Parts: sequence; structure tokens; C-alpha cells
Amino acid sequence: MRWLRRLASTRLTLVGMVLLAIGAGLSYDNPEHMPVWVLATPMALLALNLSAAIVVYPAIYRNPGLLVFHLGLLGICVLAAIGRLTHYEAHVEMSKGQIFATEAANDVRHGPLHMGDLDSVRFVQGPWTVDYTSRLTRGPTRSHVLVPDEQEGWQEIIVGDDTPMILEGFRFYTTFNKGFAAVLTWIPDEGEAVTGTIHMPSFPLFDYKQSNSWQPPGGQEIKFWLRLQTAYDIDGSWTLDGKTSSAKLVVNTGEERHELDPGQAVPMEGGQLRFDELTTWMGYRIFYDPTLFGLFISSMLSVLGLCLHYWRKFAHKPLATEVLYGRDNVSAPGVTHKTDADAPVQANQRNTVHL
Amino acid sequence: MSVTDFPELPWMWAGLAAYMGATVMAFRGVITMENIGALSAPSRINQQVVLACIVIGIVLLTISLGVRWDRLGHGPFVNLFELLISQLWSLGLIYALVYWRVPALRASAVVVMPLIWILGTWVLFIEPADSRFPPTYSNNWLWAHVGFGKVFLTFCLVAAGLAGIILLRSLPLARDWFRGMSTELLDQMAWRFMILVLVFDSLMLIAGAVWAQDAWGRYWAWDALETSSFMTWLSIGAAIHVRMTYKLDPRIGALTILAIFGLAFVTYFGAPFYSQAAHKGVI
Ligand code: HEM
Repeated sequence: MRWLRRLASTRLTLVGMVLLAIGAGLSYDNPEHMPVWVLATPMALLALNLSAAIVVYPAIYRNPGLLVFHLGLLGICVLAAIGRLTHYEAHVEMSKGQIFATEAANDVRHGPLHMGDLDSVRFVQGPWTVDYTSRLTRGPTRSHVLVPDEQEGWQEIIVGDDTPMILEGFRFYTTFNKGFAAVLTWIPDEGEAVTGTIHMPSFPLFDYKQSNSWQPPGGQEIKFWLRLQTAYDIDGSWTLDGKTSSAKLVVNTGEERHELDPGQAVPMEGGQLRFDELTTWMGYRIFYDPTLFGLFISSMLSVLGLCLHYWRKFAHKPLATEVLYGRDNVSAPGVTHKTDADAPVQANQRNTVHL
Repeated sequence: MSVTDFPELPWMWAGLAAYMGATVMAFRGVITMENIGALSAPSRINQQVVLACIVIGIVLLTISLGVRWDRLGHGPFVNLFELLISQLWSLGLIYALVYWRVPALRASAVVVMPLIWILGTWVLFIEPADSRFPPTYSNNWLWAHVGFGKVFLTFCLVAAGLAGIILLRSLPLARDWFRGMSTELLDQMAWRFMILVLVFDSLMLIAGAVWAQDAWGRYWAWDALETSSFMTWLSIGAAIHVRMTYKLDPRIGALTILAIFGLAFVTYFGAPFYSQAAHKGVI
């Protein structure tokens, strides 16, 4: 059991803490590009050291407060590791009326043991508004979303900013990345019409380049540009709202340029392209980590354990005021205690410090 | 920077003037100690004047904060000016409570008040620019995070004050200021405050992580503030362990406490220098 005692050494704790501080310093501002071992190694070392200490030191296992505190710390290490192994993060752009599907998610990153069921997440994007004040300072975002209710119907909720939508454990956060889209229908000379949306770049961030392009199957590239009318006001307060915005769609096929109002179509080689309507899209950040609640409970228990430990340790050992000034001094020859009101407070033995 | 544009300024200046009164009186108290045999202490009247000056300062700073809050429609949570003035207010308030309830540490005012003056001087030199309230700040966890943080920093300041006494008394200039006080017990008291610091720092980090999860979709991302505050938390834990594992000379212990206070200070007020905004998500 000598090795267990060695592993439990509080000197090793200090080494682990220094390594963890170095790992934290290296991760600063750049955790995505830092190898995971810079944090994982010191945390694993501390977790082992702590597990051994819990078994070895009666000072920990006989003392409920200290035990709960250190177990809480161990819990945080273990849960953080599980969280990294099972997490899922992605982005998704949802246009108004679109039903969420897993395939729409992009920039996907997930841990090797991720087991969340994103396929069972269902919601329909509705309209949204974002308030702005002068110099394009973004205010509250309100995104209307339809989510399944208990009776297999739909219910509308409003999410935005620090109010995420939580479905099947996945958290959907609105982002500054949102904008306008054109709903287009391609009506071929033969065959069935197809409708789709073209998302323009984020608005108002890229208000100067509201353009995108599309290449129909077998055809030549078509360039689109939206000429928007919104409430945009660089100096005042305004609300970005798809409902009160309008646009003309400029369609450029290389040889020809057309300006379309909603409902208008332009003839092209092999069919017609119709600009059905102006719509909007909202960019969400998706985050999944099944350990969040556990982490919260573990860290709160840890703090409670710490309080309990020190409460029991110090409650019966007040640092008396006179002690601060040295009991020896108080009883030293020549010291007389005044009892009148002018006596300095420290010399007055009524004051007892409970810390 | 004109008073008509920023009506909160005169109240702030008046508040600082009151803090200056407390500082001068605190020094007067230790220089003109009353002696009772081997014991010496600032006179009771001196202590009452110090406390009264701090309380007047708090009232005036409360008005200053209130005027600004009313003018901008949101609390002092966003830019450096707001951070400084609200810390001047809360450090004063919580320190006044400790000063009132724990007479034994009243002499620490000669270290605590000059430390508060780092903020007091700084706030005079920066533009009280209006700030805009980010939408992610309308979250109740913000209050918990800010509240625990204020208690954490003040307890750290109190520990630094006691640590400062331990170091100051070895200087010839201040040898007589703290006559009769026991270094060993000052050290114990300072470390008891460091334990409270660990508790409130932990609570601040927990509330901050919950808020960050709601606001920015991640509970921890190693931004400037998060990295620096984690280092502070870890250094408190490490310091408590070092003290438990090795017998620390009180002067080394005092230097450690001051270093931790320095780290906490940099976390609070240094982050704006190496990060665009206190919290990344603000942008
Ligand atoms: C990770 C490995 C760790 C180990 C092996 C460990 C071990 C120990 C041990 C053996 C004690 C004994 C107390 C006694 O003898 O009275 C102790 C106390 C303590 N530990 Fe840890 N610890 C670890 C991590 C931490 C961390 C990360 C923190 C805080 C940030 C921490 C804070 C404390 C505190 C506050 C005490 C109480 C000290 C006192 O009563 O004054 N520990 N620890």
C-alpha cells in the first residue's frame, strides 16, 4: 500500500495544480486548437491523487465536510471528462417555415461517445425580430418557433439570446448570424416545379453584399442580389423584422439582368425562375452536453461541503479580539483595563470575532 | 467630459472625498495610538470617524450609481468606468460591515484604504463613457455572479489588509503602528478570510458558468476572464494546501495572500487591457 500513500501525497497535489495552471494558460483564448491532453493530463493526475487521498487520509474520509468537498471536486473532473466525450456542437441556418432536420446542421463537432438523438428533434422555424439601437448595437432577439406539444400538436414558443430552446437535451441558441432569403421556384418546360430558398449573407453585418449564386442542374450559374428595404437606421433605434421588410431580386445570368418583384418570373433556358417571396433565416448554435446539471450539483455540493468543514472546524474556536492583541499582553504587568466608554475598542474584551 | 453630460460625476467625486477622509483618519489613528500598558489601539472616536467617513462615501457613491442607472436605464455592469465605480461602492460597503462587526481588524484600514485608492485614482482618469446593455445581460444569474464576486473581492481585500499589517510592521516607519498585535493571530485571521474567499470565489464561478451557458451556449471557454479567474481560484486552493503541507512563515503567507489579491485584481480590472470586452460574449 506504499504506492497508494505515494499517490495520495499532497505534494503531488501541488505538482498537479501547477500543471493544471500551465494547461489553463496554454488553453487561453485557443482551447479548440490546443491538444486536449494539456488539460486532461493534470486533471487525470489530480483525480487519481485525490481518489487515493480520499482512501488514505482519515482527515478527509472521517470528516464529512472535507469528504463532500473533495468528492465534489472529483465529480467535476469526471463529469467534465464525460462531457467532452459525449458533447455535440453544430450550427444550423433555418429559414421561415422550415422543419428542422439533422442534415441541415453544419460545422458539426462531437465527442467519440456522443449518443444524443438529434434525429428526434423537431421544430418549425417561424418569424423573428431583432431590436437595434444606434451604431448597430444589437438588442433583444425574439425568434418564434413551433415545437411539438404534449397532444401531438404544435405550440409556439419565443426564444432568443440567453433563452435557448431545449429539445431532447439539445440547446438551440439564436446567434447574430441571421438574415434574408429569397424563396424561388424553378418551373422547367417539362417536369415538376421545385421550390427552394437562397440564403443571403448575414444582415446587417453584410448589408453591402446581399448576394448569392445558384447553378441549376445542367445550366449556367445565376447570380442573385437583393435590393432590400428595411427599417435599417445607423443613428437610431429600429427593429429588424421580415414582415416590415421588402425587396427586389436582381437576377443576373451573365448576359441578362432582371429585377423581380415577389411573384414575378423570368424566362430562362429550359424553364422559368419565379421569385415567390422574401423570407428570413435564423442561424442557431446547437449545444449538447448531458453533464450540465450534474456539474452544477457537484460544484454546489462541493461548496456546501467546504462550508460544513470550516463551520465545524472554526465554530468553537473564535478568534477573540483580545487574543488578536495577545492574551499575554493583556495580562502583562502594568495593564489596567478601563471600563469607561473612552476605552479603545480593542482593549475592551467584549468583542469576540467569530470567523 | 462635462458634468452636464455625466451628472453622476459630482456625486462620485464627493464619495471619493469621503473615502479620502477615511484614509487620512485611518493613518492618524495608527500614528497616534492610545496606549494602555502594553496594548495600543486607535482611539474609539478615531474608529468611529473612519467608519462614518466610509459610510458617507457609500451613500454618495450610491447616489452617483443611481443617477447613472436612471440615465442609462441599466446597471453598472458593462464598461471599465462602471466596473470601477461599482467596485468602489461594494468594496466600501462590505468593508464597512466587516469594520463595524469585527473591531479587531480595524487597523487594517491603513492597508485597505490605499488599495481601494488604486481604483479611486484610476476612475478619475477614465472617460465615464455611456455603455449599452447587451441582451445576454438580462439574466438573473448575472446578479448572483456579480454579488458573489463583490463579496469575494472584498474578503480578499480584508485578507490583503491583514497581510499588509504583517509586512508593514517589519518596516522601521510603521514599527509602532500595530504595537501589541500578535503576528501569529493576524496570520490566522487573514487565512480564515482566505477560506471565505475560496467559498465566494467558487460561488462566483458557478453562477458565472450557469450564466455563460445560458448566454453564450457554453459554460467554460477559456476566454481572458475565465482563464484568469480559474488561475485565481486554483492559486487559493494551492495556497491553502501549501500552508497545510508546509509550515509557512507568516511573512511568506502574507506575501502569498497579497499575490492572490493581485491576481484577483488583474482578473477584475486587467482583463479589459488584454481582451476587447470584459466577457467575450458582450461583443
Ligand atoms: C486534487 C487533489 C487533492 C488532494 C489529494 C487533496 C488532499 C487534501 C487533504 C489530504 C486534505 C487534508 C486536510 C487535513 O489534513 O486537515 C485537504 C484539505 C483541503 N483541501 Fe484538498 N486536495 C486536493 C484538491 C484540492 C483542491 C483543488 C482544492 C481547492 C481548490 C482543495 C482545497 C482543500 C481545502 C480548502 C482543504 C481544507 C484545509 C483546512 O482544513 O484548512 N483541495 N486536501
